[in-house]
Amino acid sequence: MWVGIFCEITEFALLFAVFFIARAHHPEAFQAGPERLSLLAGTGYTLMLLTSGWCVARALHAMRRGDKRATVRWMLAGFVFGLGYPAIKIFELQRNFALGLDGSAGVFIVSYYYLTFTHLVHVFWGLLGMMWVIVRTGFGAYTPEEHSGLEAFACYWHVTDMIWLMIFPLFYLLG
Amino acid sequence: MSPERKITDRKVDFAWLMLVLLSVGGAGMASTDANTVLVAVGVSLVMAIKLRLVSTYFLELHEAHPRIRRAVLAFCHGMPILVILTTAFGDTLSRLTGALLG
Repeated sequence: MWVGIFCEITEFALLFAVFFIARAHHPEAFQAGPERLSLLAGTGYTLMLLTSGWCVARALHAMRRGDKRATVRWMLAGFVFGLGYPAIKIFELQRNFALGLDGSAGVFIVSYYYLTFTHLVHVFWGLLGMMWVIVRTGFGAYTPEEHSGLEAFACYWHVTDMIWLMIFPLFYLLG
Repeated sequence: MSPERKITDRKVDFAWLMLVLLSVGGAGMASTDANTVLVAVGVSLVMAIKLRLVSTYFLELHEAHPRIRRAVLAFCHGMPILVILTTAFGDTLSRLTGALLG
């Protein structure tokens, strides 16, 4: 599990390096960039992912005390909030394309799509993993003594959350 | 539920509340007309606090192997520092990478 998480961190570390170099070479484009994006959408992604992460953390605590029903409920809540991320993405993409912010809209927008789409892929993997963990919890695969699958998923989801906490200010706040 | 478990749950709830408040408050920084480096420092500080909250209360990094803990913390602390450095010394980074990349 940690090997996978290190791969994820390494992948994003490289993408962040590209971001910083592109920003150093095109300061004007990156200074004006955040105004072109929807801060409301960016804040929405953050709140959805943080709330989903909180639900997953509470689900893990519920499993540790042997409350499987509460575990499933918290996981389902986490899944619903997690779905909020791709839902907001659809609305944001419609807005961006209506404003002409596509792949030819400059270095800032290209960097933005590159990093956020890569992150979106990781969120999709996480949502699939969450579905799997919910089903397994429902079928009683985890116990308070042995729930390493649930813990591994929770770690992945929180790291994906942390990476978004780095992406969000880079594109939506730093002018 | 044992009092100890209850306290752990409350800590996670409090961390989530703080994260939400910091996210909404941090978004307000985008609309300020302050100096770019000052904004970068503020944004980085908020980022560092949020990463620390998630890694401590959600990820429970203190229970991980020391090497893993150090590596994840280096990433979490390194990012906000890089944001400040690349904002303050963007010209130098541009010159260095320009020379390297030809």
